[in-house]
Amino acid sequence: MKINHLFPVICTAVALVAAGCGTTVNSVENAQKEGQRNMVSDQRVISSPSLSRNVNVVGVNTVMTAGGLLRVQVELLNTTRSIHRFSYKFEWFDVNGMQVNNILSAPVTDQIEGKESKMISSIAPNPGCKDFRLKLIDAD
Amino acid sequence: MKITTLIPLVTAVAGAALFTGCATDAHYVKTGDREQVISLGQINIQDYANAASLAVKKLLESGAIDKVANPPALLEISRIINNTGQQVDTDLLTKKISIALLQSGKAQTKIVDKQTKGYQQETEFMNDQKATRLPDFTLSGKIIETVDRAGSTTRTTYSFQLSLNDPKAGVQVWEDEEEIGKQGTRSSVGF
Repeated sequence: MKINHLFPVICTAVALVAAGCGTTVNSVENAQKEGQRNMVSDQRVISSPSLSRNVNVVGVNTVMTAGGLLRVQVELLNTTRSIHRFSYKFEWFDVNGMQVNNILSAPVTDQIEGKESKMISSIAPNPGCKDFRLKLIDAD
Repeated sequence: MKITTLIPLVTAVAGAALFTGCATDAHYVKTGDREQVISLGQINIQDYANAASLAVKKLLESGAIDKVANPPALLEISRIINNTGQQVDTDLLTKKISIALLQSGKAQTKIVDKQTKGYQQETEFMNDQKATRLPDFTLSGKIIETVDRAGSTTRTTYSFQLSLNDPKAGVQVWEDEEEIGKQGTRSSVGF
C-alpha cells in the first residue's frame, strides 16, 4: 500500500486520538442578567505566555462585604480543549502598600476543564486591605 | 577509539549524570511550594492550609461572624472529631482558622491556657466582677477520610466539615465542607 493511501487513515486516527484526549465543557446560563458585576481594570505581568494562553484571565470584579472586607473574583477561561491544573494565590496589601500575610494567601491547587470558564475568588484578610495581586502557576 | 571501548565510558558518565540529577540535598522549603510532597495516605500540611484557607474565606464572606451584639465576636474552638485512620493534631486546622479570624478583627478566641485563665479568674474575684463572658460562637467539626481504589490507582479524599454554633440560641449559624482529593499510584513531589 502506498503512503498516499495511508494518509486519510492516519488523519482519522489522529483526529480520533485528539477528540479522545480533549475534555471540553458545554454550559448554559441566563441571557438577561439580573446581577451586574463591578469590573475593575487590571495590570498584568506575564512570565509564562503558555499558561496565559491556556488559562486566560477574562476579567476581575470586586465587591465590598457588609462587614467591610473587599471580595475579589477572577474569571478564568481555558482556551484549549484539554484539562489544565494550576495553583493560585491571592496576595493582599494594606493602604500603605505593605503586604499582609495570612492563611488567605495560601496557595490553592485547582483545575479547569477544556473550554471551561471558571471563577476563583478571595476575600481580604482585614478591612484595611484594599489592594490585591493574583499569582497563577502552571501545575501540569 | 573502538565502539566497544566507548560503551562502558558513556554508560558510566550517563549513570553519574542521572544520579546527580535525581539526588536532592536537604534544603528549606515553603509550605505549598512546587516541591511539596503529596502523600496519598495521609493529610499533608498543605491540605490543612488549603482547607483552612477556603473555610476562612467562606466564613468571612458569609458575614455570620459579624452578627453579634458586641463585636468582635468571642469564639471558642470546640471539638474536631478525627474520623480518619491516622493520628492528627487538629490544631493544624483550627489554629490557622483562629489566627485568620483574629487578624481580620472580626473575632477573638477564648483563652484555653490554664495559667492565663487562673489570672483572669483571680482578677475577676479581686475586682468583684461578674463571671467571664460566654462565647458568642463555638467552632466544631469533623475530618473524614474516604479511600477509593481501582487497580493500582488510589483516590483519597479528606472532608473537613466545620460548623459555627451559637451556644445561646443552640443553633448552627454557618457550616462548610471542604474536600481535598488526591489520586495516583504512589506519593509524589510537586503539584
